[in-house]
Amino acid sequence: MKRRSFLKGTLATGAAAVAVNAGLLTPSTVLAEWNKAAFEAKKVDDAIKVLYGTTETVESGDVVLKAPEIAENGAVTPVTVDATKLDGVESIAILADKNPTPLACAYSFSGPALGYVSTRIKMGETMNVIAVVKAGGKVYKTQQQVKVTIGGCGG
Amino acid sequence: MSIKIRVRGKVRGGVAEIKALMKHPMESGRRMNKKTGKPYPAKYIDVVEVLLNGTKVIEGEWSGAVSANPYMAVKVKANKGDEVVIKAHDNTGATGEAKLKLK
Repeated sequence: MKRRSFLKGTLATGAAAVAVNAGLLTPSTVLAEWNKAAFEAKKVDDAIKVLYGTTETVESGDVVLKAPEIAENGAVTPVTVDATKLDGVESIAILADKNPTPLACAYSFSGPALGYVSTRIKMGETMNVIAVVKAGGKVYKTQQQVKVTIGGCGG
Repeated sequence: MSIKIRVRGKVRGGVAEIKALMKHPMESGRRMNKKTGKPYPAKYIDVVEVLLNGTKVIEGEWSGAVSANPYMAVKVKANKGDEVVIKAHDNTGATGEAKLKLK
């Protein structure tokens, strides 16, 4: 009889593992999984929807997006997103709306990390850089146009 | 092949600004090789992690749209002497790591 209960136990844990694999449990339990669907989205709204589950965003002056007005070389466009004025920033995403796949990078924060990120992205032509910040259950969006004189894709 | 990472950090007023520079081609898989007419295979860093005293505090997911030899700056509440580790992973499986004691 012991053997039977042992078998039952292993079957139950096996089913739980399958549930995790199939994505039935919340994704927060499975960390460091590259968000393929968001990065392959061809439209800004689609990418934001995959990332945050909504396209309803709030414009806010507390999210500061720093990007050059004119980028001479689109292959290295410096972009800084400063949301340190907001409390409890959970994530920041940077998108370039006319790139073939707009989502360039997405960061998630926890504990002592502040909502601040500075990086350099590639831009194929003149377009808007969009910063999306999630803090305290709200999704904030800020955008700025960057004029590109030399495209960054296709070398 | 491992990814080379250079990291610097400075604590000011209880907040550390951590800057990292990685050596990586960040090939998106879209750039064409004009001689062969085929695209260069994709090779880009897809996951970057920042650890403070062994705990992950920031995780970045990147695409091929991040510039070659990527630069990243982040801010974390920290004290002098805290240990920062930056980890990077690319889509071909290469990894890199850099450590720093905050000053």
